[in-house]
Amino acid sequence: MDTRKIVVTGLGVIAPNGIGKEEFWSSLKEGRSGIKPVKRFDTSGFKCKLAGEIQDFKPEEFLESKGLRDLERTSRLLCSAAKMAIEDADLDINEKNTDDIGVCTGTTLSSLWNVAEFNKGAIQDGPRFTDAALFPGMVMNAASSQVSIRYNIQGFNTTISTGYSSSIDALKYAIDFINLRRIKAVLVGGVESLSLVNYSGFYRLGFFAGIKGEELSCPFDKRRNGILLGEGASVVVIEDEEYALERGANIYARVNGIGNCFDTFKMGKYHPEATGLKESIKEAMRNSDLDVSEIDYIPVSSIKSMIGESFSAGGLFQIAASVGSMYESFIPPTINYEVRDDDCDLDYVANKSRITRINNVLINNYGPGGSNAAFILSKWN
Amino acid sequence: MINNIEDEIREMVSKILEVPVEELAPGVDFFKDLNVDSLKAIEIVAAFEKKYRIIVPEDDIPKIRNLGQLIEYTKNITS
Repeated sequence: MDTRKIVVTGLGVIAPNGIGKEEFWSSLKEGRSGIKPVKRFDTSGFKCKLAGEIQDFKPEEFLESKGLRDLERTSRLLCSAAKMAIEDADLDINEKNTDDIGVCTGTTLSSLWNVAEFNKGAIQDGPRFTDAALFPGMVMNAASSQVSIRYNIQGFNTTISTGYSSSIDALKYAIDFINLRRIKAVLVGGVESLSLVNYSGFYRLGFFAGIKGEELSCPFDKRRNGILLGEGASVVVIEDEEYALERGANIYARVNGIGNCFDTFKMGKYHPEATGLKESIKEAMRNSDLDVSEIDYIPVSSIKSMIGESFSAGGLFQIAASVGSMYESFIPPTINYEVRDDDCDLDYVANKSRITRINNVLINNYGPGGSNAAFILSKWN
Repeated sequence: MINNIEDEIREMVSKILEVPVEELAPGVDFFKDLNVDSLKAIEIVAAFEKKYRIIVPEDDIPKIRNLGQLIEYTKNITS
């Protein structure tokens, strides 16, 4: 496969700690958390009450109010983030270029709200009287399709559901499309929305912080005892460098290396040797233009401390954060880091962001299900 | 009673189609004038069926093209 140079030209974010790239970046810079008591559904039956919920999002500020009625929350989030990304990339989608542009979205849990509502209707009113309007939003590719429909994007439309690594897997899929010269630009998105189903599910599996300790998102801290769920959408526009230059686009960063690998271990358990993650990082390094000897220092930061575990959207939030890191020269902090754990002895950029020039960022996505992906974003000169 | 049904239906359709009640004259064609697509049509039928606990036979659906016909249909069924 002929490898193309691929660049990032647009960005749209709706995160628990900020809507729009500026607000998101300034929140990260200041270490502002988006974790708060859940309002979307009743949590009184749970020991846990918190999540990275998006509470000040007004879809009518981004999308026409007519038709919003038919759009479930996931599609509202993704379509709004996509709109910001298209505008940010100054991408004019028209009849001439629509076949050269695609949409690729990472999401896994996002249709559960509609599934649950539909089933509630079936139980309460009987199967013959279910709410037909909920049905289109019950499929996993609903949000991605809505983006294509709304913005008339006809190149391709794919949804990648690989759990924790969906974002980077979606990005890889999009990159392959560009490398195959089947497409010139892709809106790569990640989206998840909170629902009682996924909250209750993770809670019952014992994944949440707060069940056996403090209800706090504190990666690498000795007190860490699980995740806090998050939600939101992040969309980046990636394109063939040649195409971006031709249309005079503003270029944020370039896609350097990417790799993914599935390790088969046990359901719900991380591989003890992290073989899949290691392999993903190696693959990303191999197909980048970086050499291991060029890396002299690696600070480790987890923005999950501020936005929670946003599952399939996590990687796209990391990309949006990393673009901000490069653009505004800072490393976002790992907040809530207070108690040192001897097992975690790296530099975690604790609590305060660090002002420094960033040239390359390695982003890892992995989960206790076997999926792993790694991605290197580099400065474009 | 009859007026109530009319109002109820007009309100239901207005909500689903996002068209103000005053624009929903009985003769306005759902498909030609209001751009109702098949999904919206199903939504109206589903809401109607749920409200009146009746099942509209498949063959009857294409016959209902405006509010007046829907009101007429309801009157026949509920009388």
